[in-house]
Amino acid sequence: MLRAASGGVTRHRAQTLVILMVLLVSTASATLGLALLTAANGPFDRAFAAQHGADAAVAVNSGRATAARLAATRRLAGVTAAAGPFGAATVTLTSQGVTLPSSLLIGRASPGGPLDDLTLVTGHWPQRPDQIVLSEGTGFFPGVGAKMTVTTAPGKPQLTVVGVANSITNTADAWVLPSEIGVLRPAHAPAAAEMLYRFAAAGTAAQLRGDVAAVSAALPSGAVGGFSSWLSARQQATGTSAILAPFVEAFALIGLFMSVLIVANVVTGAVVASYRRIGVLKSIGFSPAQVVGAYVARVGVPAVAGCLIGVAAGDFLAIPVLHKSAASFGVGSQSVPLWVNVVTPLGMCALVALTALWPALRAGRLSAVQAIALGHAPRQGRGYTMHRLAGRLRLPRPVSIGLAAPFARPARTAGTLAAIMFGVTAVVFAVGLDATLARAEGGQNLAATAPVQVSLANFSSWQPGSRHDRAIVAALRAQPGTLRYVAAAQTELSAGALARQVNAEAFEGNSSWLGFGVISGRWYTGPGQVVVNTAYLNQTGLNVGQTTTISTGDRTITARIVGQVFVPGNEPALLTSVQTLGGASASLGIDQYDVGLKAGVTPTAYAAGLGRALGAGYAASGPGSGQFYLIADSLIAMLTVMMAVVAGLGVLNTVLLGTRDRVHDLGVFKAVGMTPRQTIAMVLCWVVAPAVVAAVIAVPIGMVLHSATADAMARAAYTGLPASFLAVYRPAEIVLLALSGLVIAGVGALLPASWAARARTATALRAE
Amino acid sequence: MDALIRVDNVSKRYDNDGPLAVEDVSLEVAAGEAVAVMGPSGSGKSTLLNLIAGLDRPTAGTVTVAGQRIDSLSETGLAKYRRQRVGMIFQFFNLLDDLTVADNVLLPAQLAGLSRARARRRTDDLLERLKISEHRQAYPARLSGGERQRVAIARALVNSPEVLLADEPTGALDTATGEEIGRLLLELNQVGQSMIMVTHNPVLAARYASRTIQIIDGRLAGDTAGATHSAGAGARP
Repeated sequence: MLRAASGGVTRHRAQTLVILMVLLVSTASATLGLALLTAANGPFDRAFAAQHGADAAVAVNSGRATAARLAATRRLAGVTAAAGPFGAATVTLTSQGVTLPSSLLIGRASPGGPLDDLTLVTGHWPQRPDQIVLSEGTGFFPGVGAKMTVTTAPGKPQLTVVGVANSITNTADAWVLPSEIGVLRPAHAPAAAEMLYRFAAAGTAAQLRGDVAAVSAALPSGAVGGFSSWLSARQQATGTSAILAPFVEAFALIGLFMSVLIVANVVTGAVVASYRRIGVLKSIGFSPAQVVGAYVARVGVPAVAGCLIGVAAGDFLAIPVLHKSAASFGVGSQSVPLWVNVVTPLGMCALVALTALWPALRAGRLSAVQAIALGHAPRQGRGYTMHRLAGRLRLPRPVSIGLAAPFARPARTAGTLAAIMFGVTAVVFAVGLDATLARAEGGQNLAATAPVQVSLANFSSWQPGSRHDRAIVAALRAQPGTLRYVAAAQTELSAGALARQVNAEAFEGNSSWLGFGVISGRWYTGPGQVVVNTAYLNQTGLNVGQTTTISTGDRTITARIVGQVFVPGNEPALLTSVQTLGGASASLGIDQYDVGLKAGVTPTAYAAGLGRALGAGYAASGPGSGQFYLIADSLIAMLTVMMAVVAGLGVLNTVLLGTRDRVHDLGVFKAVGMTPRQTIAMVLCWVVAPAVVAAVIAVPIGMVLHSATADAMARAAYTGLPASFLAVYRPAEIVLLALSGLVIAGVGALLPASWAARARTATALRAE
Repeated sequence: MDALIRVDNVSKRYDNDGPLAVEDVSLEVAAGEAVAVMGPSGSGKSTLLNLIAGLDRPTAGTVTVAGQRIDSLSETGLAKYRRQRVGMIFQFFNLLDDLTVADNVLLPAQLAGLSRARARRRTDDLLERLKISEHRQAYPARLSGGERQRVAIARALVNSPEVLLADEPTGALDTATGEEIGRLLLELNQVGQSMIMVTHNPVLAARYASRTIQIIDGRLAGDTAGATHSAGAGARP
């Protein structure tokens, strides 16, 4: 029996290879999908547990509390673990023209420890006094080896960046060796330190405040300067993961469904294609049980091999994907859980066994003659009408024969169709989501309309008409690439019954060209009008068209909300004109100029030119790409390619089975003069009809999935979406996306088509 | 007279370490000849026919048909050769089950790029001559063995090949039907169709071929004139 099975494996090398490849890619894709699902599920909590995150990072005035007093707080009731004191300094770091103001620098001898066990993302921990490791949380990484200047330290020392580390609760912006803190602290700044604590009860902000109050009470008055809470870090991190989770889950589910479908299709097809051989085995005395065993074993050998290699490949592929996912979730590192590496191959093997068992049992029950008869090419009569109709089309004969072929094997064609359908759905979904994310990114960074921003290098604001203002306006006017510009003043104000301050941005002059995404209503057109984000409306309970009362300083203003704009996040935001907030009498400081450029002007070149014209003390920056969008884009690309590959393998398998079924007919075609090129064209046309039908079904499914996922992501980001962000599919693009079905089908069918074209005619004719 | 087919020192081995299926065979066939190739099972006669048909390539030696070396042709060149220079009929007909009789016959003409109208005229003409026109819209599975072989002959002739190659054309037919197909082949030869026919049947060979070649163990073992009829030199059917 084993010999019968192994004979099948070695004799049908192409099919064995396909089973192996499909199981490999499917298992890899399922492993990746499950790993991503796991990664998207509570990434902060798992990373917090893994890093032994600190519940509170307490800022301490070292001059008021000795190290011994600080160490004694470890034994306080309610404190379950503590680390520190770590020397601390608040500094300003600059590198490559970018300034990181107010960066918390911590002195640590190593990244590990019982609390806040840092994940070193890249590079190594400082080994020398002039080395620094940046926190991933800063979002700024000039590269290992880059120089950073501590501009606030005496002598402005330069440090070399040697790595990036992640602290799940962002306990620092950068780390150096403990001995360096005193050197790098600004002159006259008091000695400071950081203590990290884990408390028995730290589930709520009130509990944490109580815990820190207990620590503060145990120290001299004024020793505790403040603290950062793990709860705020979690809120920030889960906000990002909540945005990414819907799309990661959608991709993972498509991948899992497709893997299951294609594995079932491939395995069933492999057994059904062996019916003739099964009949022969039965005719020489194989029992039904032996037949079942032989054929489950036959697909089992390559399937198990594929599963094992696949899980390793999945783990390998997961490394960069999870790295990106971890970066986007801000959790340092993520890995494939052990259970995924066990459950995925076992699940795939069980799926193979189940899908192989049914046709094998059926084959076992068939008589030898029935099995041999079923093992021949398609049942008589199927697809004949389509051949007749296709023959009437004014198409080259190989094309019309190929177009009619799928109708002879409806079940197999359905498998091909489903594989292409999943592939096209993934492509349509991915392209749509990518476009929506690009528009969302554009709506946030205004790169399309105002790609350059000018500000003071130290990020402080300035008064209209001041020396700085005149210098910037003069430089903007002198630059030939300048199209238009508008001054923006950022401030905080109180709004109605909202307890928290509202971030407001007021523009001096026409700002409608900035192109903020309008979700509902319109952009403001005059004084007394404001536009707000979704969080503002949700938290105030107001709607577009209603009035809102806002207070700035001692001034209370009533303004009409004329539009809801895309400013994601749970922080209420308000945008209006400087005039609405009181004009010149409001004394709003300008924070930056947003600059629109003439057509053909490169933002980076313009920014560099403007920077040179303005000289030191000013910063002109081109558009940057948000890390979230970069990560989302690369995740989308990688997952889409994987799914298209699985879909292509599904097509390859069914076409391969088709060429095996029809090998004799292929011999006849070649014997009567079909050239290799015509043979390839004919076989490629086998998949055209399923590809067209699949595309017709998949395009709307992909579009609906895109819309639902984008809505879910937007809800997670506390915002609505402008209709223009969702209307990303233009008619011509829809046609092109539908063509992706033909591409997947064509690429999948090309290899077996080439094999068919290369097959020796005499050998094919001898095949039964 | 120039040879229509010239086989020079042809050998064919299927596996590198296997025996020769055809060993150092040389022969010539003149235009208009009807040649029977005979020999026991496994003697290499079908292999020889496949080499002349361009269905397989010789391991050594050359095959020249109508002045064209076919052993050195590309796969595309061989396909064009098969569709234009030779027509092939098989023991088990090798018709395509999912195409109608007319579509089976039309296929080589369509592959050769013959205009639709000309291909249809040619097909109708052949079906009429071979007395199967009433089955033109039928599928092969509904036909008798003799009718299927007639369809196969029509398909082989649709591009007016220079030589008709028949591999056991009566092997799957009863005696009466075999006789009928034999007579049909004879008629074709009498109007000028060159023909090579592989057969087990000495009666068929003696009655319908003008020359008989014996192949034993892959080697040429005899080449005798049957002389039951003489080939005409008229236009090909």
